[in-house]
Amino acid sequence: MWNGPLIKIDEYRYKIPESYKGKGNNLKMRVPAIIYASEEMLPSIKKDDAPEQTANVATLPGIIEKSMAMPDIHWGYGFPIGGVAATDAEEGVISPGGVGFDINCGVRLVRTNLSIEDLDRKKIKELVDELFRNVPSGVGSKAKVRLNMSQLEDVLHMGAKWAIENGYGWEEDLEYLEENGCMEIADASHVSEKAKERGKSQVGSLGAGNHFLEIQKVAEVFDKDSAKVYGIKEGQIVVMIHTGSRGCGHQICTDHLRVLENAVKKYNISLPDRQLACAPVKSREGENYFKAMACAANFAWANRQMIVHWVRQSFENVLKMSAEEIGMHIVYDVCHNIAKLEEHEVNGKKMMMYVHRKGATRSFGKSRKEIPSKYRNVGQPVLIPGDMGTESYLLRGTDEAEETFGSTCHGAGRVMSRAEAKRRWRGQEIARNLERKGIYAHAASWSVMAEENPDAYKDVSQVVNSAHGAGLSLKVARMIPLGVVKG
Amino acid sequence: MFKIFDHTADIGIEAFGETLEEAFEETARGMFAIITDGSKIEKKEKRKIEIPFEGDEEILLVDWLSELIYIHDVETLVFGDFDVKINDVLTAYAYGEKYDRNKHKYGVEIKAVTYHMLEIKRNKKGVTIKVLFDI
Repeated sequence: MWNGPLIKIDEYRYKIPESYKGKGNNLKMRVPAIIYASEEMLPSIKKDDAPEQTANVATLPGIIEKSMAMPDIHWGYGFPIGGVAATDAEEGVISPGGVGFDINCGVRLVRTNLSIEDLDRKKIKELVDELFRNVPSGVGSKAKVRLNMSQLEDVLHMGAKWAIENGYGWEEDLEYLEENGCMEIADASHVSEKAKERGKSQVGSLGAGNHFLEIQKVAEVFDKDSAKVYGIKEGQIVVMIHTGSRGCGHQICTDHLRVLENAVKKYNISLPDRQLACAPVKSREGENYFKAMACAANFAWANRQMIVHWVRQSFENVLKMSAEEIGMHIVYDVCHNIAKLEEHEVNGKKMMMYVHRKGATRSFGKSRKEIPSKYRNVGQPVLIPGDMGTESYLLRGTDEAEETFGSTCHGAGRVMSRAEAKRRWRGQEIARNLERKGIYAHAASWSVMAEENPDAYKDVSQVVNSAHGAGLSLKVARMIPLGVVKG
Repeated sequence: MFKIFDHTADIGIEAFGETLEEAFEETARGMFAIITDGSKIEKKEKRKIEIPFEGDEEILLVDWLSELIYIHDVETLVFGDFDVKINDVLTAYAYGEKYDRNKHKYGVEIKAVTYHMLEIKRNKKGVTIKVLFDI
């Protein structure tokens, strides 16, 4: 239970003032911290130390304006999950703790021109089983292709483009990915042999845990005009993919965290939490981390790209139509765990900064040049996965989100530990409950099913409504799952 | 001797050994008990691990567990027994076998070992280690 000061600014904004000294009474916040949430969400937010972590982040050298927490904030390592912080591109620091171990964990949404009338339950089951066969998932899952070292390095440098050049996807796909599926600063000479070794057999695998592949139905459209621009309408079938950079990204974070542990001493940075390890952005250690992080981000985009290819193939196999005929275009692809060098305005002045988003989504509005030209009149699509058996959301980015340096929430946020979930529920029971709701689930193991029980998460609608209320992203559509593949 | 404890988003191990070496072995056993049912792991494969000890026991512990995650991820091996010696170098043997979903049952993916709340404590009886994982 966290009992620090929380000052209400308005219905969706709460402030921890700079004067807060922290639980240890020696915290030196450089800027205030803002938590974006509705009043009804506060008790669950204060249940653990996530607000304290948001205050801890405010001590980072070069942090700009404020440390932020999105409505789905929960306790993480170093930064809270749902934490956002921008640091000065000259004087600031960069921190792997502000990105997380699963670098560029993200979400991709693929639309179809099928509607719910076109698929009965038998067809959905066939599709899910085919997806389960085609997209490797679960512990120790290896992809269908094994790359050699030079191919893997191409993946790290080129991202989704590598996959497309090698036959996994369509040329047009790239335009609908954040960063067009590649951070060009990537330099694989800062990626260890171990990270590369782990990556070689995992490009094109879903992994385990909260990662999933879902066939969904658009259940409700809130904003018809924007939905039309995104190619979305009520009753439509869409596919959502949620995965990241796999073992390759985990190893890159582990390796560089180790280096930055020492950099903290070297550059004389004082931190309230060891897991906030960081280095000045202009230092060798900081620059090398950023170049390696970009490699992991590129790996994740290639990973989701190959999965999209197999998703299209699975639909073709089951429905006996081509993916083009089914209209399987990408709506968008967003990162949830990343640091980006971006330009934003501070006190009327444009400046460059490293925006850390850990369990947060970029939410650029119509005035940003980074978004696809087709979406220039509505803002970028923001994809918020719920959890197995509930609902996911499609939102749009806003210019008002410049307040959070173009950031919004990322998902539901866990309220109960995984072990606790496993003790409380049995997987088979959950699968039966889902089936009663008309959802067919195929998981690699029953225990994963228990861990991913919907009741273990915060209500995603509360999270999305808070982000909407604060103007950080606006609701476009709500999707409900029909079929689920779990790792 | 070890026990698994959990936190909202993540999970950890509290392990005890009469010596630092034994505590390292128990922590590793605990970690694989999170990954799968450790009681079913047979000794069919053996891997030698060497890690330089640079003076910081906490960092050595993270390196040791990270190395095991690495081998587990690349070779799909799970380990149930360990033999650790620590001098200027940590030298260890890990015993286990290929992970088999049908035999070992559930599989949890550990992304990484964290430094958060990491503790290595000594008392008259021995050494207690506390470590959290990102899963």
